[in-house]
Amino acid sequence: MSYVVQRIAFSILSLFILLFVTFLLSQVVAGDPALIAAGPNAGAAKIAELRQQMGLDQPIFVQFGIYVGNILQGNLGTSWFTQQPIARDLMRELPPSLELVFLAMLINLAVSMPMGLLTARFAHTKFDDAVRLVVLAGAGLPVFWIAIILQQVVAGNWGILPIAGRLSFSNRDFSGATGFYLLDSLMQGNLNVFIDTLAHLALPAFALSLLFTAVGVRITRTSMINEFRKDYVTLARAKGAGEGRVMFRHVFANGATPALTVFGMQFGWMLGATVLVEEIFGRPGIGRYAIKAVTQSDIHAVVAVVFVVGVVFLIANLIVDMLVYALSPRKQRAG
Amino acid sequence: MRSFRTYVSLIPLALAGVLLPGAAFAQPSGVLVIAENETPENLDPANATNSTVNQLLIGAYDTLVQFTAGETQVSPRIATAWEISEDGLAYTFTLREDVTFHDGTPLTAEDVKFTLDRLQAASANVLNDMGPFAGAEVVDEKTVVLRLSEPFGPFISALSRIYIVNKALVEPHMGEDNARQFLAVNGAGSGPYQITGYSPTEAVTLRAFPDYWGGWDGSHVEEVVFRYVSEPSTQLSLLQRGEVHIAPDLTVEDKLALMDTPGFKVDIGAAATPLFFAFNTAGEGPTSDPEFRRMLAMTFDRELHLEQVLMGFGNLPDGPLPVGWLGHEPGTEAEFDLEAARALVDENGWAGTNLLVRYLPAIQEEQRAVEQLQSNLSQIGINLQAEGMTWPAQAATVTSIETTSDINMLYNFPSFPDPHAVLNTTFNSALSGANGGYNWSQYSNPEVDELLNAAATSSDPEERAELYRQVQRLVGEDHVVITVSNPGSVVAMAENVSGYVYNAAHHQTFNYMDISLD
Repeated sequence: MSYVVQRIAFSILSLFILLFVTFLLSQVVAGDPALIAAGPNAGAAKIAELRQQMGLDQPIFVQFGIYVGNILQGNLGTSWFTQQPIARDLMRELPPSLELVFLAMLINLAVSMPMGLLTARFAHTKFDDAVRLVVLAGAGLPVFWIAIILQQVVAGNWGILPIAGRLSFSNRDFSGATGFYLLDSLMQGNLNVFIDTLAHLALPAFALSLLFTAVGVRITRTSMINEFRKDYVTLARAKGAGEGRVMFRHVFANGATPALTVFGMQFGWMLGATVLVEEIFGRPGIGRYAIKAVTQSDIHAVVAVVFVVGVVFLIANLIVDMLVYALSPRKQRAG
Repeated sequence: MRSFRTYVSLIPLALAGVLLPGAAFAQPSGVLVIAENETPENLDPANATNSTVNQLLIGAYDTLVQFTAGETQVSPRIATAWEISEDGLAYTFTLREDVTFHDGTPLTAEDVKFTLDRLQAASANVLNDMGPFAGAEVVDEKTVVLRLSEPFGPFISALSRIYIVNKALVEPHMGEDNARQFLAVNGAGSGPYQITGYSPTEAVTLRAFPDYWGGWDGSHVEEVVFRYVSEPSTQLSLLQRGEVHIAPDLTVEDKLALMDTPGFKVDIGAAATPLFFAFNTAGEGPTSDPEFRRMLAMTFDRELHLEQVLMGFGNLPDGPLPVGWLGHEPGTEAEFDLEAARALVDENGWAGTNLLVRYLPAIQEEQRAVEQLQSNLSQIGINLQAEGMTWPAQAATVTSIETTSDINMLYNFPSFPDPHAVLNTTFNSALSGANGGYNWSQYSNPEVDELLNAAATSSDPEERAELYRQVQRLVGEDHVVITVSNPGSVVAMAENVSGYVYNAAHHQTFNYMDISLD
């Protein structure tokens, strides 16, 4: 139990360090938010007045203190750009991004796990080499480039999948309780929208997953190879266990653990990378929101996005850590 | 510009699902989809200075006076007539009797006053261009007086961006933020269209308001959808697939190609958004020397730029003010003459000078103009270093003279077609970069300031024209900027879009209220 508390405390601490660094960085990079907010031909007096209203005339540590105080009260502040509570903005932008990340993660796991296992079992064969080649190519391709190619060729030239957007034009009035269209459409029993959502997600999710899958296959392979070398595998084989049983019952179950930790981190990284595909596929989402916030010097919104992505990252890691802990034989012995 | 092979255009027409061919006096029908690369900040009329906001509000709200697309003269809208007092300090407007907001409330003088009071309380950006506006007074239900603290020539023009909000609807939401949060996501207007869907990172939907006070003569669309698509290649694919009808943000090459592609057409609007190289006139660097600036002013080939970079989409500039505008003075800027510039460099021993230009590399035209200048300057022994930035970063560098680079690139986006909006913004020392304005040359010439202020406070067009001519001559002699180009507003669209007309007073907007789909 103490382990769980320790992990959570550590996560919260990391979050505040992350917040502080982001806050500092946004001060250095973004330009003058009051100047942007004042609009064209504002003049010096109005800009100075706005700077004061926005609290920008305070020392940075005071600004940070006020900001953290608000966050502790569950208030992410008001966007200088959208004039809306940032929390409300993010509640709208998160579901489309998370939906994209979930699907990309699913693709990642569905490919990485079996491919990792198989390349480990048949390590240093022609099959292993071939997969490695494909994986290297996948890891080397920039996400935005792959996204454009997929869009232009698969959607544009072949006309197989939609070019851009979240739903087809005919479904433009669809809305649901959660904002996750896959979930909402199922809850409403609307199979048409479900399929439409999936079709719009397919290319962006695939483009997003590619790099992560390449890493996933390699990581899974490495941890599986280590398992294959262990004594219990030799023992199991000596006792006449079938190769299928050895691979899935023994090696996969044990070797998946280190890979799991990486997948947990990948989830957070993916959320940070959605911006690359959201821009190209014209999808709403947190990445797109973040770009606009950065280009408009909307500091609180930028920090809030980083905060929320950080929270998702830490939660994903926490869940994985707990999972690994729960599965670990040491813990079973102890408990 | 139109393609003559019209038969093929039937295909996107069918795809667009248009119900009926447009006939006069038809009910609004069909859905017009417009692609847009920048997402809107919000729906608040206080921010109508921003084109992404303005393009949504232009059909959803009404104004006292308006610039209709294709016109450079202001015309009545909610106001049927106005009178200006002898001293130029009071403008009395008579309002139409029959205007109602979307919730059925009649629009009265109270709404006009409330709108302006609220904008003042909220320090709204749209008021930046309203000069010495002091306040509004209600005389009776249909008469309102707007008062100024000193005369302001372009006042009527500036009112074309003041969208009248429904007092009864907005007042309960004033709260501490002057209804900013409310108006950011809600409509409160009386225009022909009503905002019915707002997902700012995805799409915004407007629907024709059936009881619009102006009626629905002619052909119009029932629904307008702005779809936010940042990638030019994605916009192109969507246009080709028939999923959007208007695509303004394609690359120049793609627009050129679409001109000869059946099913599409390309409109070139005579925009008035000059692009400048602004020389730092106030710093310690070489550009503070007028003679050095005279040399620089001769090193940019505008004709080549128009031909090779803009592919002919635009007008050759002749000085900072667009040709044909009130008070335009020809021949004030130095012409391209690299040999004369080289002679000056040799004479003064300037060879080997290092200069820094800051610009926005995300904008294709700026990137290429910088490369062009770099190449010309290198031929005469001057090394131009280029630093690409984002807009907020570049804008922050000019807020003090010390951090202002030798040269900055920027566009001027006049908020109404009046010389004040270009010349005052670019050359008045009150609006220098250090004072938070767009005079990024940090140019300060008391004589020019005086002329600009005199022109702003005069309401006599002839007198104003003469003052502006003098301003252009002085600025030309001081070699403050190079006017690089007057790029056209080039918009690609499906062949079946009819009625689109570029509006110079509302740059980067669309007159969707006049558009129909054949």
